[in-house]
Amino acid sequence: MTTLLKVEGLTKRYFGLTAVDDVSYEVEAGTVVGLIGPNGSGKSTSIDCISGFQPADAGRWSLAGVDLTGLAPHRIARAGLTRSFQTVRAYDELTLLENLCVAAQENDGIGWLQALLRGKPLRRADAEAEARGRDLLATVGLADYAGAPAAILSYGQRKLLAIAASMMARPKLVVLDEPVAGVNPTMVKRIEAVIRKLNGEGVTLLIVEHNVDFIMSLCSRVIVLDAGAKIADGPPSLIRSDSRVLAAYLGKARAAELDAEHG
Amino acid sequence: MDPSFLAQLLLNGIVIGVIYALIAMGLSLIFGVLEIVNFAHGEFYMLGAMLAYFLTAHWGFSYWPIIVIVTVVALALGYVLYEGLLLSLHGEGFERSILLTLGLSMVLQNGAVFLFTTTPKMMETSLSYSNIVVGDLRLPVARVFALGLGLFAFTALYLILHRTRIGKAMRGVAQNRDAALMVGIDPRAVSRLAVAIGIGLSGLAGAALAPVYAVHPLMGFSFVFKAFAIIIIGGLGNVSGAAIAAVMLGILESLAGGFLPLALVDALAFVSMIAVLLLRPQGLFGRGVRV
Amino acid sequence: MKALRIAAVVAGLVALFAIPQMTRNEYVLALGVSFAAMSVIAGGLNLVYGYVGLLSFAQVGFFGIGGYTAALLVVDRGWSLWAGVVAGGGLATLVGLVIGYSSLRLSRHAFAIVSLSFALLCMIVARDWVELTRGAMGIPGLPTPVMNLPWGLSWRLVRPADFYYLLMGVAALSHGLIYLVVTSRLGRAMRAIKLNEPLAQSQGINPLAYKLLAIALSALLAGIVGGLFVFYLTIVDPSIFDFYYTETTLIMVIIGGPGSFWGVLASSAVLTALPDMLRFTTDLRMVLYGIVLIAAMIVFPGGFGGWLHRRRVARWRRPRPGAPTNTPSITP
Repeated sequence: MTTLLKVEGLTKRYFGLTAVDDVSYEVEAGTVVGLIGPNGSGKSTSIDCISGFQPADAGRWSLAGVDLTGLAPHRIARAGLTRSFQTVRAYDELTLLENLCVAAQENDGIGWLQALLRGKPLRRADAEAEARGRDLLATVGLADYAGAPAAILSYGQRKLLAIAASMMARPKLVVLDEPVAGVNPTMVKRIEAVIRKLNGEGVTLLIVEHNVDFIMSLCSRVIVLDAGAKIADGPPSLIRSDSRVLAAYLGKARAAELDAEHG
Repeated sequence: MDPSFLAQLLLNGIVIGVIYALIAMGLSLIFGVLEIVNFAHGEFYMLGAMLAYFLTAHWGFSYWPIIVIVTVVALALGYVLYEGLLLSLHGEGFERSILLTLGLSMVLQNGAVFLFTTTPKMMETSLSYSNIVVGDLRLPVARVFALGLGLFAFTALYLILHRTRIGKAMRGVAQNRDAALMVGIDPRAVSRLAVAIGIGLSGLAGAALAPVYAVHPLMGFSFVFKAFAIIIIGGLGNVSGAAIAAVMLGILESLAGGFLPLALVDALAFVSMIAVLLLRPQGLFGRGVRV
Repeated sequence: MKALRIAAVVAGLVALFAIPQMTRNEYVLALGVSFAAMSVIAGGLNLVYGYVGLLSFAQVGFFGIGGYTAALLVVDRGWSLWAGVVAGGGLATLVGLVIGYSSLRLSRHAFAIVSLSFALLCMIVARDWVELTRGAMGIPGLPTPVMNLPWGLSWRLVRPADFYYLLMGVAALSHGLIYLVVTSRLGRAMRAIKLNEPLAQSQGINPLAYKLLAIALSALLAGIVGGLFVFYLTIVDPSIFDFYYTETTLIMVIIGGPGSFWGVLASSAVLTALPDMLRFTTDLRMVLYGIVLIAAMIVFPGGFGGWLHRRRVARWRRPRPGAPTNTPSITP
């Protein structure tokens, strides 16, 4: 198993509050890893840092051996780390297919001049992107709406589109920020199926979520943050009964109760 | 070099700086609380001056009643501006607010030109010809009053922002909008007051300066762009930074005017702004420094 | 459909270029020249504001810099018109990149204000730096330009019709270039940046690069038409930086719809012809523009282009017979 993402000593402070406190972890290629923790534990902040949207105060991170520390978000994306957002983002005025083609365009090796001259290389790249886009739309079940403006999609559908978009540039690692937050149970199942399918095709995923059941059923490894620090890191079975994790979510008294019950 | 010449320049600079500050502080307050750049800000300065002129020329009011009337009218206009126009923006889109206020300034400015023509009018009050003389320094009384009004306005604004509940709410919104909303601050009331105060300051400045300079429909035009430069120099959204930057600019312009060809003085504000942007982009005092 | 569109464009161009043959009315030709120049400025503004989403007041500055540069190089240094105009465009582009790069690092708020101050600074410098620009009087009596064409021909631009052809030609090329950019993936990236910049960044799009591209292109084109325009006027003076141009081109973009190539082109034509036809005084016209601007911001910020888009969205939302229905698993 090769290490794909390596995060070391990530730290982020906001006005005297330490949101991410010396967090280190690794994600192995081909796996689905979950990142959970109670509210305010720093999950999304740490994602913002490694994807370049927030400057980190300390720490380093690399993807497939390439150091990404301190790079601008678009450079990190081009290096193969894509992400989705908690506030689901899409280009409302563009069609679904256009949404996906945009996601592919900076990564197909076509420069500005070639784009303007509209020669064969461009046409080939565009055709490939379109084919891949339609493919992904089919995977997430939105093929019927390929030509519709993204504005018409429901909340859950937008999340599916975002997942599809994050796949377009053949990333090495996809980071999903709360992919099933605020989504009804049927849609949760759908998104879970999509993620399994993508992982089956060899995509590595890091998923930040509140829905602990979702993470436990999907991920081979779970990392738990609390108040900015990493408190647990292992397979779901171990995490489920880890007393520190229970304490973080349920409070110390209740966790001690449960501990006593389970012996 | 004649020290009293220097002192005179300094004094003039402070006076004009205080007036700049009145205009810039209002602009900064509005930007800090609403994230709106009020293009029409200069027009309210012009309207204040115009109103002051008419009150004198046609109804013979004297200085202090004019100041009070114009300030009250300006506060009311600010209220109307917010409730009537700015509210319908729903806080959306910085660009829309610029264009909307630009449209407003086009209407007010050109409307004034159409109604009153561009001929400058001189306001004659009882103060017009008297000077205060201290040693070698001469200061027209009207300017001294303007200075005094400016300082009074600063103090009043400071007290409002630091001692009243809604004033503190304003500072809260300017520093961190989301946090302020979360603790239950009513954005509409705060915004409304901020706009009213901002426009009020502008109108007050107009009335205070009407006896000093000529009054004409385009007078707001040049002031407002300098005010923009000032709020960038002081730090976007930082009201006291704007005030300090304004006074500094006033002094700088006055000193430069004494030694350099007058022509280059106008460019100073913009050149300073570009320098600040290149060297210290967050402004001399940064954003969100306590007012 | 596409063939029809191309035919329409060609027909339009032919008609435009035929006008000087059909009329000697100098007034019409003057409108044409005005339209050519203003539409290019508006097109550049549309690129920067409508496509990338950056409100900019700098266009008039680029226009005037092009004008002054060309005039000074031709009059003081004896450069040819071509060279002077290209140099003007080049200088405008350089200036645009400088102010763009320095202020975009901060925020787009700062860029808007800096672009405004830049335009004013241009006016002040033109008026006050007399050694360079001859001050408020400007440089009158610009010589009749002579264009050196291939095969040893030369074209003396004397009649209004000459300038009409030249400026229309340059305008057509400029709009063609803009069209090429906005319909390419470059234009798509710009729209992505305007619609959702963080999303674009997370997809590998470099916002600063595209913003600077838009600014540079708009500056180049405005600078070039500026250089040509002053020779048409035979004078360049500080009034070339008048805020009036900024306000008018802004209205053109707002009414046509920011981001709508054809909308802005159409509104440029209408707004060039209409005011003169309605015979308003300048003040009242500006009051009207101001009211239109206010109304637009409150009621229809997207202009015609935006209205058309909303209709497209509405059409998709209406239930149609035989249209794909929501399967049970996609519950909104």
